[in-house]
Amino acid sequence: MVLELQKPRPIWQIMFSTHHTDVGLLYLITSLAFMFMGGALALLLRVELFSPGVQLIADSMTYNRIFTVHGTTLIFLFILPSASAFGNYLVPIMVRFKDMAYPKLNAVAFWMIPPAGALIWLGFADFTWYAYPTYSVVSAPGPAADMWIFGLKILGVSSILGSINFVVTIMKCKHPDLPLSKMPLLAWAYLTSSLITLVAVPTFAAALLMLLTDRLGASGFFNPAMGGDPIAYQHLFWFTFHPEVYILVIPAIGFMYEIFPRFSRKPIFSHGSGVAAFTLLTIVGFASWAHHMYATGMSFTEKTVFMVGTLAAVPASAMHTFNFLATMWGGRIKFATPIMWAVGGIALFFSAGAGGVVNSAMPLDFITHDSYWVVGHFHLFVMGTILFGTVGFVYYFFPYVTGRMYSEVLGKVHFILSFVGTVLVFFTQHILGLFGMPRRIYDYPAIPEWVQMNIIISIGAFIIGIGMAIFLWNLIWSSAKGKPADMDDPFGLGGKYYFPYQAKNPSH
Amino acid sequence: MSGHSTWPEWVYVGVVIALLCYVGAEAWNIERIVEHVPEDAEIIKVTGQQWLWTFEHEDGTKEIGELHVEKGKAYKFEITSKDVIHSFNIHDYVVLLDAVPGKINTVWFSPTEAGEFDIQCREYCGLIHYNMRGTLIVEDNGA
Amino acid sequence: MKLIIGLGVILGLIAVLPAAEQVFAAGSEVGEYLDRKAAIWGLFYRLMIIAFTVGTVVSGLIVWLVLRFRESNPKAKPTSYEASGSW
Repeated sequence: MVLELQKPRPIWQIMFSTHHTDVGLLYLITSLAFMFMGGALALLLRVELFSPGVQLIADSMTYNRIFTVHGTTLIFLFILPSASAFGNYLVPIMVRFKDMAYPKLNAVAFWMIPPAGALIWLGFADFTWYAYPTYSVVSAPGPAADMWIFGLKILGVSSILGSINFVVTIMKCKHPDLPLSKMPLLAWAYLTSSLITLVAVPTFAAALLMLLTDRLGASGFFNPAMGGDPIAYQHLFWFTFHPEVYILVIPAIGFMYEIFPRFSRKPIFSHGSGVAAFTLLTIVGFASWAHHMYATGMSFTEKTVFMVGTLAAVPASAMHTFNFLATMWGGRIKFATPIMWAVGGIALFFSAGAGGVVNSAMPLDFITHDSYWVVGHFHLFVMGTILFGTVGFVYYFFPYVTGRMYSEVLGKVHFILSFVGTVLVFFTQHILGLFGMPRRIYDYPAIPEWVQMNIIISIGAFIIGIGMAIFLWNLIWSSAKGKPADMDDPFGLGGKYYFPYQAKNPSH
Repeated sequence: MSGHSTWPEWVYVGVVIALLCYVGAEAWNIERIVEHVPEDAEIIKVTGQQWLWTFEHEDGTKEIGELHVEKGKAYKFEITSKDVIHSFNIHDYVVLLDAVPGKINTVWFSPTEAGEFDIQCREYCGLIHYNMRGTLIVEDNGA
Repeated sequence: MKLIIGLGVILGLIAVLPAAEQVFAAGSEVGEYLDRKAAIWGLFYRLMIIAFTVGTVVSGLIVWLVLRFRESNPKAKPTSYEASGSW
C-alpha cells in the first residue's frame, strides 16, 4: 500500500498481497525497472550508430537482438504494465469500490509479467518486435525466437486478464450513485483501452500460436513453401497492434486529463468531448491497421480504405488536444514537474500526429516506409506522448506512494533534458528518413548527411540518457531522504485529489 | 459542465476534418496518377534473396547487385523473393515495394537523370540486412 | 452529434471514393512518362506546408497559454473554482 518506506512491511506481504494498491506498486516498480533496462539498450544502439563502422557491438546479429529486445521491452514490459499500475491504484477509487473486481486474478495478471520478461531477456530474439514471417519462420535462430513467442503469449494473456478486471470493476462494481457520464476521464481511459485490448489482442494470440507451429514445421500458415501466406500474418499482427497503439496512448491521455485540471485549478473543459473522443478512438482504431502494409503490394482500393480509416482517427485525437488547451485557458497554472511533462507531451503529440497523417497518405509511403522517418514518428508517440504522460504521472504520484516529495529541481532538469533530447533525436530521425536511411540496420555507408544526422541523434540520445539517470537518482534518493509530503495537498493547489491513500481496506 | 459555449470546439473539429479531407483527396489523386503503368514499360524481374538482389531484363540478360537502365524509358519491376520478405528500394526515384516470397508485386518508374543510384533493402531480413545493397546505373544513350 | 457528423463524413468518403475511382482510373496517357519522384515529393511538400502552418499555430498557442496563465504571471488571478476548493 502507500507510505511503504515510512511504515515498512516485510516484502513478502506486498508480493503475496492481492490488494489493488499493492498490485499497483508491483506493476509500477516492475515497469520502471524495465523502462531503464530498455532505455539502456537504446543507448547501446545509438553508440553503435554514432558513425559508420563497428563502434561497440561486434556483429550485426547482436545488434539485431538488441533492437528487438529494446522494442519488446519498452512496449510490453514498460508501457502496458505502467498503465496497469496507475489503473490499479486509481480505478477502484474512482468508481468507489473497495478493490478491483477480481483481486486474485489481478495478482495473477501481474505475476505473469516477470516470467514473460525473463523469457524475452534470456532468449534475446533477433526478429524485430513484430516477428514477420517468413524470416521468423525459416530463418530466425531458436531457442531465442521460441522463447520470445512464449513470452509474448504470456503477456497477451496477462493483459487480457487485466482488461477483464478493469472492465468488470468499472461496469459492475461502480458505485450506484456514480453514473458513467460522471465517471472521471481517467477511468474512461481504462474502460476504453481495456475494451480495445479485449477485441484486439486475441488475434495476435492466435497468430503467435500459428507462428510457433510454423516454426516447428507442423503447419505452414505463413510459409509459402508450404502453401501459406506471409502477408496473412501481417494482417493478424497489425489488427492487434494498430489498436494497441491506442491501448498505449489512451491511458497516457487519461493521465493528462488528471494532471491538466489539477494544476490549472479548474475543471476539464469538456468531460463530454473527452468521453466522445475516447469512444470514437476505440471504434475507428480498428479501421486503420493495414496502413502499415501499403508496401506489401496492396491494391489501390485497399489502400484508399485504410487511408480513410487512418485519417478518421485524427479528429478524436485533435479533440483531446483541444480539451487540454482549453482547460489551461483561463486557469492559474502551477508549473510543477507533472504538468511540464504533460504540456511537453501535448506539443510532441501534435508533431507525432502530423507525421502520422503524412504516413497514411498513400504515395508518401514510398518515401517513408521502413525508413528512419517511421522510427522518428512512432517514437514521438511512444516517447514524446506516452512516456511523457506516464513520467509526469509518476512524479504526480510520487508523494502518494512514498509519503515524500521528489526533488522539484531534478524533476525539471529531467524534463528539460528529455524534451530537448526527444526533439533532437526524433525530429532528426524524420529528416534522416527523408534522406533514405532504412531502419534496423547495423551499419551504414558513409553518406555525409547520414553521418552528420546520426551523430546529432546519438548526442540527443545521450542527453535523454543523462535525464533518465537523474530520474533514477531522484526516485531512489527522494523516496528515502526527500522532504515529507503534505498528504492532503502535496502540490499546494487546493481542491480534491484522487489519492491511493483514500483506498478502503488498506491492507490484507 | 461549466456552461461554456461549445462552438469553438465545433469550428475546430470542422477545420480538422476539412484539412483531413484535403489531405486524403490529394493523396488519393497522386496515388492514382502514380499507379498508372505506361503500356510500353519494359519489364524487369527483381528477385530478392538473403542478401542480394538479382535482376532479369526482358531480353533475358541477368544482373546481380547492379541494374543497368536507360534514361527516359519506362520500366516496370516485377518483384518477388526467394526466401524471406525483403523490400526493394531505390530511394532517389521513390521506388519502394516489398519482395514477398510466393507473390509478385509491381511498381514502375522512369529514370530522368543519368548516374548511379543506391538500391537497398528496407525490410528486416536477417544478418546482412544492413548491407543488402545494390547499384542502379542509369545510362544516357542520347535518346 | 459530433460523432454523427464525423462518421457521416467518413462513411461518405468510403462510399464515394471507389465510385470516383471507377470514373478516373483510366488516366490520360501523354507522350512523356510521369516523373514519379516529382509527383510524390510535390505532395510531400504540400502536406508539409499544411503541417508546419498548423504546427506553428498550435505550438504558438501552447507557448502563449503557458506564459499567460502561469501562476507567476502578473495578470494571473484565482479561478472561480479555487474558493470552493473543488474542481
